Amino acid sequence: MRLMEQKDKLFKEIFDSNSKKIFHLCYGYTGDTDAANDLLQETFLKVWQNLDKFRNKSLISTWIYRIAVNTCLTYLRSEKRQAKDELTDNIIENKIEEFSEKNEQIALLYTCISKLEENDRLIITMFLDELPYHEIADISGISEGNLRVKIHRIKQKLTELYNQYASV
Amino acid sequence: MQAFDQIQELWQKHQVEVKVSADEMLQQAKKEVNGIKLRSALNIIGMLFSFLAILLVWVFYEYQSLTTHFGFAIVLCAISISTLILIRDHRLIAKNDYTVYPHQYLQNLKTYQLNRYNLYNYMYWLYTIALSLGFILTFMEILSKLSNTQRILAVSLTFLWILFCSTILRKAVMKREKERIALLIEKFERISSQF
Repeated sequence: MRLMEQKDKLFKEIFDSNSKKIFHLCYGYTGDTDAANDLLQETFLKVWQNLDKFRNKSLISTWIYRIAVNTCLTYLRSEKRQAKDELTDNIIENKIEEFSEKNEQIALLYTCISKLEENDRLIITMFLDELPYHEIADISGISEGNLRVKIHRIKQKLTELYNQYASV
Repeated sequence: MQAFDQIQELWQKHQVEVKVSADEMLQQAKKEVNGIKLRSALNIIGMLFSFLAILLVWVFYEYQSLTTHFGFAIVLCAISISTLILIRDHRLIAKNDYTVYPHQYLQNLKTYQLNRYNLYNYMYWLYTIALSLGFILTFMEILSKLSNTQRILAVSLTFLWILFCSTILRKAVMKREKERIALLIEKFERISSQF
């Protein structure tokens, strides 16, 4: 019972310190609050179940990011959610209208991120959140050298997309 | 023209709000599992209620014919066996908590799905045949006390009810339950597959 309480406490601490960043990652990936919430819950459910297996070989945040990235990648590949994936554009389009008065630029940014490839979306999201290169490399399973080149390309692509959409 | 630095600044300025807490999140996972548990428990309660109602009709009224008693016994036997099967299946999903024993729970959920499939197929037909036989035997005495119109009404309503349950209702329940369990299994398998 005491062990269970300790696990609960630890989990809550982990959730409180990581949930915001993971939600931002999921939101950047899907562009949809509901889907991001589903992904966040699925990620932390996996964290909860496998907390005992975490062996401090990496930072816990890196471990959670890795779980979240895998969750994001498998989530939309799941057959049942393909339809939702196709809806992402519409959702984001709608969001532009919602945000038009408040923050059109942010809505535009999410639209541009959604135009990137799945893996690129996740990598740039982590980069935007200022995760160190070695951590992103660890999470995405790419060597640091390749990652630097990849990030450089994604940054260019995203900037191009952003300016292209902003000028329309 | 925006530079990437400005895009990054924009991203970091956007404050996201996580609407779920750690407690709510675990509760949510348990809620999905509990939905199936609750339906299974309600099913059992319904069967127990039917058993008691028929038992009361048998005990509190006086019947002359042995056939009638035999009919009631068959009906109650069919309900008891079905209820025991339902209880066995309920225990399968009730004894483990997904958030504590995910792999064991997933296995049990698969067994539960298979058992439910059997229950709604050949087990259901056995149950319907036993129930129909029981009703025929009890009706022999009960219907003799009624007028012709009442007899026709009682027989046709019972027949239509059994027909409705065996066809439309059975198929609808089977489809809905199959989808619900399959979705849950799919979700839990996806969650478990990463580790």
